[in-house]
Amino acid sequence: MKADFHDACLRHLEDAEVLYENQRWANADHLFGIAAECGMKRLMIALGMPLDSNDTPHKKDKVHANELWIRYESYRSGNPQAGCYALWAADPFQDWDVYQRYGHRTHFNQQRVDPHRNGAQAVRAILKRAERDGLL
Amino acid sequence: MTILDETVSKVAESLEQQRADLAILAPILVNRDLNGRVRLIVREELRDNPQARESLGVLSQALSLSLERHGFPAERMVLFETDLGAIRNEAPHFRLEGFEDVWVLDRLATESDWSRLIPPGHGVSRIVFFSIKGGVGRSTSLAAAAWALAEAGKRVLVLDMDLESPGLSSSLLPEDRRPRFGLTDWLVEDLVDNGVELIGDMIATSDLSHNGEIYVVPAYGSDPGEYIAKLGRVWMPKMGADGTREPWAKRLQRLLTGLENRLQPDVILIDSRSGIDDVASTCVTDLGASAILLFALEDEQTWSGYRILFRHWHRTGVVREIRERLQVVGAMIPDVDGKEYFADLRESSWSAFSDELYDEVPPGCPATETEYWNFDQMDESGPHYPWPIHWHRGFAAMRSLHQRMSQIDSGQINQVFGDFFTGIEMLAQRDGDDE
Repeated sequence: MKADFHDACLRHLEDAEVLYENQRWANADHLFGIAAECGMKRLMIALGMPLDSNDTPHKKDKVHANELWIRYESYRSGNPQAGCYALWAADPFQDWDVYQRYGHRTHFNQQRVDPHRNGAQAVRAILKRAERDGLL
Repeated sequence: MTILDETVSKVAESLEQQRADLAILAPILVNRDLNGRVRLIVREELRDNPQARESLGVLSQALSLSLERHGFPAERMVLFETDLGAIRNEAPHFRLEGFEDVWVLDRLATESDWSRLIPPGHGVSRIVFFSIKGGVGRSTSLAAAAWALAEAGKRVLVLDMDLESPGLSSSLLPEDRRPRFGLTDWLVEDLVDNGVELIGDMIATSDLSHNGEIYVVPAYGSDPGEYIAKLGRVWMPKMGADGTREPWAKRLQRLLTGLENRLQPDVILIDSRSGIDDVASTCVTDLGASAILLFALEDEQTWSGYRILFRHWHRTGVVREIRERLQVVGAMIPDVDGKEYFADLRESSWSAFSDELYDEVPPGCPATETEYWNFDQMDESGPHYPWPIHWHRGFAAMRSLHQRMSQIDSGQINQVFGDFFTGIEMLAQRDGDDE
């Protein structure tokens, strides 16, 4: 199946919000991270990230939200067009990890999820701006 | 094939067909993206409004067909957003003529768009020297104006914003008085928060002034250093740690305010880059100019260039704000057949101003000053009426200007610049009186 990072960001975020509303913190947290990852990857493609023949990023960019926040910045800098697409400097996903999906639900609460939710929403806002600019 | 120039009228045609539904759909943003492709942005709540969806569906089909490659497939023609006001402010925009709450939003690859006007500040008069063509004696005239104003006792601050073709400062400063840094250094160092430390080392005082003071901020300092490497970065917006973004024009405004507070000048003269260029746009529209001098030669290139700008101001709805700040300067009026040349120049200027900037006075209606902004061709108070600067061999070369002006022959200089000086002094006085 071909990757569609844009749609993947939106659908993960929509589902994460449903889980969040229902206080399903553990899986909401996981999906906010995945949503942010997909959104950042789509933006990085728009900013010139090279892709393999099957439309997936090269190895160094094949990382998750906790490592992508910094990688994203390296694609943004040097690209004056990308001045409008800045994420804030402090990485909200530093304490997020894809392996936490194997963790017990009692490790997750709203306090833990909120920064990840804010991060994913910030990525979506930039994605929408890039769409309006015609870069997507 | 549909081209960019046709997109706005095509959108207007399609909207006209749906006019009855606009009460529900408006406000509408007609979003022209970076590639010039158009789609509509409407309020998020219309997503769940069946009547609006139906109307948007018809509109999308029509637009997709008529805009061709400048459009999107019908199913991607509309974006829904919660805060249309914030989105409208993301990019330059103008109201679509004939529609109440429909705005065309232009996303440009450049920061400047010639139509986002910063209103003039109070007190210190900022006069921008602009020309469509280079080599018309604009910088020389600025140096002469600085001298004349200083002779009249004014404190004058001169900024060389012609970053890509600098040279103004050489006419006001001898080699040994150049400051260490220039505007380009500040614009680059500000990106890493070094700007404040630089500011004291980028101002020089000219020895040409006797009664007042001439402060000069050059494009580059005594050693240009890696000028190309710096020039390629001056337009960078400054990003805050929290993601806030300060475009380069705002940074320049901040510098200008800093210089103003430090030096307390009576008047600031800004040498703009020539042509329809990004830096020029910033000088003309973003620095709160109280007056914009349009240097003109009597030729096709000059007037077609000015007409493009005038028409743009008309379309983007800023014409009333900007036209009162404009003044044409007749550059390099030849000494042979000068009168005829000047008459032709005045006519070209008046014709461009009448077509694009002056109010149309309805037939049979007396043109009273308060109602219509319109000037007769022969009216010397009209901004179209050129302030003449006569061509003179001695002032043609910038290089020799400092020496020439330091051994000034006031008779000769007044012969060349006399009328121009009268105008400049009037501008400086006018803004001083507003204070």
